[in-house]
Amino acid sequence: MNVDITDLTRRFGRTQAVAGVSLQAGAGVFGLLGPNGAGKTSLLRMMATVLPPTSGRLRLLGRDPGSYGPRREIRRRLGYLPQNLGYYPGFTAAEFVEYFALLKEMPPGQVPRAVAAAIEHVGLGDKARAKLRTLSGGMLRRAGIAQAIVNQPELLLLDEPTAGLDPEQRVAFRALLRDLGQRATVIVSTHLVEDVGAACTEVALMDAGKIVFHGTPDELIARGEGTGAAGDAPLERGYSAVLAAARSAAAVA
Amino acid sequence: MSGMDAGRPPGATAPWDTGPPDVDLGRVWTGVAAQVWRRDPGRVERLAGRLLRSAGLARALVATPSLLLAWIIATVVVLFTGAVATVATGTPYVALLAPAVAAAGIAYAYGPGIDPAWELSQSLAVSDRMVLLVRALAVFGLNAALGLAASAMSGAAAALTFGWLVPMTTACALALAVATVTRSAIVGVAAGVAGWVITVLSGAAASGQLTTAVTSAALILPYLAFAACCGAVVLYATRIPRGTS
Repeated sequence: MNVDITDLTRRFGRTQAVAGVSLQAGAGVFGLLGPNGAGKTSLLRMMATVLPPTSGRLRLLGRDPGSYGPRREIRRRLGYLPQNLGYYPGFTAAEFVEYFALLKEMPPGQVPRAVAAAIEHVGLGDKARAKLRTLSGGMLRRAGIAQAIVNQPELLLLDEPTAGLDPEQRVAFRALLRDLGQRATVIVSTHLVEDVGAACTEVALMDAGKIVFHGTPDELIARGEGTGAAGDAPLERGYSAVLAAARSAAAVA
Repeated sequence: MSGMDAGRPPGATAPWDTGPPDVDLGRVWTGVAAQVWRRDPGRVERLAGRLLRSAGLARALVATPSLLLAWIIATVVVLFTGAVATVATGTPYVALLAPAVAAAGIAYAYGPGIDPAWELSQSLAVSDRMVLLVRALAVFGLNAALGLAASAMSGAAAALTFGWLVPMTTACALALAVATVTRSAIVGVAAGVAGWVITVLSGAAASGQLTTAVTSAALILPYLAFAACCGAVVLYATRIPRGTS
């Protein structure tokens, strides 16, 4: 298992952002769904080794990120796209991807080809030498995705990756996700259920810091059948039904 | 998003489409793109890469001034602190505390509030503390070079350059060298600070100023207040932003 989490928590003062999450994930595309404030980003940031857990057990790529040496090794093999990734406006797209490839400690001789491959993967070839300040929001997001995949990560963490992408780019991005999921663990945090339905092999739904559903997209769809839950698509109805059940159970408790 | 056609020059696909079936055209194109887009590191970056044993740190070093807003803020803090430290030569504690203020300013300038890719930098294999150390060296080193040029025209610039920028560049270089050898930014910073403290105290002792500055009861409260402010700035600069969802 590339991701092995047991009873993980994270507090910010009095706020419990993540409340006892347990999760295992191997190769494939794993969707992390949930409303705003559910704890998705905090969970993803702990998996990205950016945020230390308050308690619980976290193992990534078979290592404990709490120690310096293993954490460094995890980070070499990790790709991360934060929700709010800023950009260095004076860098070109290729320079931006190269900068992070070098800081991921890729062998310098492999970097130019890896940068070219990553930029081609996200369809930014014609903008590789354009300054980031001249690119649109969707292009910047693709540059962010390119830096995340440049080291061919074994664990790829993407926070709202399709934000800002147009429908055509989103379709192409889902295909890229499926391709990457053949050999790596790809965890995608999103609130767009159609992304999950199209690309993910597994899905977890978070609410109030807890995982309230874990299964396949088909199983999530099945949860919504016959419940009269709100939603235009089967996955949306499953999402609404699971959330409603979880919240009513929490209210009773 | 597969994008394989996006970067090809118009018409360039035609000969490849008729190539032999065992040629991986995607791979060929990636090789061509890699050659076209590759950035050749300059002499300074190549030398820094060898000295620091890290191409990533070398890139961070030379790219530091290009993060313009952070660079300007860091430079203003460094020059202002240096001006105070250079003017207040009768009070060694100012010189002793000045590097902490400058370091806090640089940490803030390249911290979460200003560096747009700060969160991503926290997930990278190269230690963010090492990156901060090379950025401090870049800020002091380039300002020292500019100061040397300005010294030819101004006595005040010479005082700032030789009393602050050049010594601090040396202290940063010492810290980075030790950090590189020991593979620990904390050990490196400790070595740099130790070097600076020895230099300041030996100078103060030689001129008979040391005892007054250390034993004056009236200065205890200002010392504590100043230390608390520096601590607060460092905590703010290195804070972990709260998760947004």
